[in-house]
Amino acid sequence: MATRAEAGLVQPVVAGWLDRARSRPGLLFAGLVVVLSAALVLGVGFGTVSIAPVDTLGILVHRLLGLNLGGHWTAAAETIVFEIRLPRVLSAMVVGVGLSVAGATFQGLLRNPLADPYVLGTASGAALGAAIGILIPIRIALFEFGLVQLFAFIGALLAVGVVYRISRTGALSPLTGLLLTGYAVGSLLAAGLALTMYVSGTNLRQIFFFLLGGFDGSSWLQLAGTAPLILGGSVLIMLRAGPLNGFLLGEETAGNLGVDVRRERVILLGLGSLVTAAAVSVAGLVGFVGLVVPHLVRLVVGPNARRVLPISALLGASLMVGADLLARVLGEIPVGVVTAVIGAPFFLVLLRQTRSAYEL
Amino acid sequence: MSRRPTLSRLGSLAAAAAMILAACSTGASSSFTYGPSLPVPSAAPGGSKAASLAPVSPSPAATFPLTLTDDAHGVVVLPKQPRHIVSLTPATTETLFAIGAGDRLVADGDFDDYPAEVKDLPHVATYSSVDVEKIVGLGADLVIAGGNGFNKPDAISRLKGLGIPVLVVYAPDVAGVLSDIRLIGDAVGNGSQARALTTSMQAGIDSVKAATAGLPQPRTFYEIDATKDIYGPAPDSFLAQEIQYAGGNPITTGDPAIFSIPLEKLVAADPQVIVLGDSAYGMTAAVVAARPGWKTMTAVRSGAIEPIDDLVVSRPGPRLVEGLRLLAMAIHPDLVLPPYGSPGPSASPVASPSGSALP
Repeated sequence: MATRAEAGLVQPVVAGWLDRARSRPGLLFAGLVVVLSAALVLGVGFGTVSIAPVDTLGILVHRLLGLNLGGHWTAAAETIVFEIRLPRVLSAMVVGVGLSVAGATFQGLLRNPLADPYVLGTASGAALGAAIGILIPIRIALFEFGLVQLFAFIGALLAVGVVYRISRTGALSPLTGLLLTGYAVGSLLAAGLALTMYVSGTNLRQIFFFLLGGFDGSSWLQLAGTAPLILGGSVLIMLRAGPLNGFLLGEETAGNLGVDVRRERVILLGLGSLVTAAAVSVAGLVGFVGLVVPHLVRLVVGPNARRVLPISALLGASLMVGADLLARVLGEIPVGVVTAVIGAPFFLVLLRQTRSAYEL
Repeated sequence: MSRRPTLSRLGSLAAAAAMILAACSTGASSSFTYGPSLPVPSAAPGGSKAASLAPVSPSPAATFPLTLTDDAHGVVVLPKQPRHIVSLTPATTETLFAIGAGDRLVADGDFDDYPAEVKDLPHVATYSSVDVEKIVGLGADLVIAGGNGFNKPDAISRLKGLGIPVLVVYAPDVAGVLSDIRLIGDAVGNGSQARALTTSMQAGIDSVKAATAGLPQPRTFYEIDATKDIYGPAPDSFLAQEIQYAGGNPITTGDPAIFSIPLEKLVAADPQVIVLGDSAYGMTAAVVAARPGWKTMTAVRSGAIEPIDDLVVSRPGPRLVEGLRLLAMAIHPDLVLPPYGSPGPSASPVASPSGSALP
């Protein structure tokens, strides 16, 4: 086995790379912009139908800039590139941004490394909402959003709202109360989901696919409906990196530092939940990204939310676009599986290589 | 402190769902053949039964542009006769070949296996996904999809959003299969062939019903799968109806939304005939007889356990009559059925893209 020898070679390389990235976050940011751009280009360029790169470029220039470079391509190729791949790739990017930023927010706010965007009942709420939407036989659609997406969105927000209201009345500290209430409400909703799935008959498959998550229903209209919520919410969270840093030191310290703890907590929780709900309504329950991407970023750049949030957004977007491309090329396997398969080993290597003490 | 994220709990639910699905897919091939034995939700087409009760009238050859209403109440507009057809279910693929439109099929689903010609076609639908990009790449001008959740509804609405006509079919019962064949025939411009086929099929169905009419109706359990839970037909399902037509008294799960039957209940129902829909997966009468608790059933004691080709019985397509005959003979081994002719032009697809009337 050569693994030990290889590890001996890899270790200093990774560690050195980590040190450089840590000392120059600007460079890391620029590097990730390049990675994301590459992921976007590959995502639009590849699929189950092969289209020449020249044609892909010609179609994009023609449709986005209105210029005609004189290429000849079929109408089908134009539909594939512009109506299928581009909105799908951009949806993956937007959802990647949203889940990573929301994950970083919840982890910081709750001071819990196992928090993810779904921790306060969002996932169970969305899943139950979607399942009910699937079972209601009425099919309406607005912006190519049907009942399923709408109910998922509402379910996620309702769940967080209920968790927040209940947690406030308890005698526990706000954070413990939130986490435990989230767990309890989540369990209740999961039981409701299990029951819904049990009686769903042939609709079980559809509910199951929602739980797995994916981007194969993406369209421009869906993107137009959710991207403003997700990207807008993410930017608003980034503008509150200061208060979020305060929460990292504990709520009391944050208060002493002049952070209006109660107000900021509600705002950050609300924004994080809104972003998550919108992301879930487009993509279903894509796991892993929201949990691990912020940790990956903190391992490299440290806990400062001013760096963690934007870099998480870029890394999450790149990971999601890349994972979706792999998922498509490998025959529509669930994107959550791909994100975990790519991300988990990477995360483990970083965990082992990190030299500085890791803190949230 | 370590608190499990909510997602992990949902993960275990998803895993449970996966197991249920796997159970259905290994044994219940019916779930591959767009759930004919599964119950009918309220979204089921209301018109299919009524339409097929009416006498089959030779309608004039459809003229394009054509507007149709499919089984999901979708309005399908076909500007001209489809020349590049994609069929996403095994039954609709069989139907297209049986009405002489097989030569215009450009892609099908992964599980389509009949007739032999489909082996060479590109496959664009798996159990869990539809390759929208490839369908667009093939220049499809009509996609025929399975309703009631057989093909991913997301993908269907995506295709529609891209301007590709999608005809969604779902047959909750035997009459629905016939009206779907006519619907598909109209959509592809082969309405006359489709009507010739359904007339012949209706005659075949009637002859089975007539042959079994005066016979005693043994309590019949159609086993879809029993590797873990025991799966059988739900009440009022396509499969339960077929058992009735074949002269049996179907033992069902008792609830349209439930597909499995507890062993206690099956023992209490005491089947006189057990039909093994899972025989293609290696299930035999000997294995059934050796199962703990099954010995008390009349069917096991008398040896009335019959293997059957489930694909033909439970697939809601043009081979329906063959399946019904197999079922009738499994339930009544001494039954003599009148011969059933080749249903329409299925053996040798008639290339008649113009949709001209058959003699």
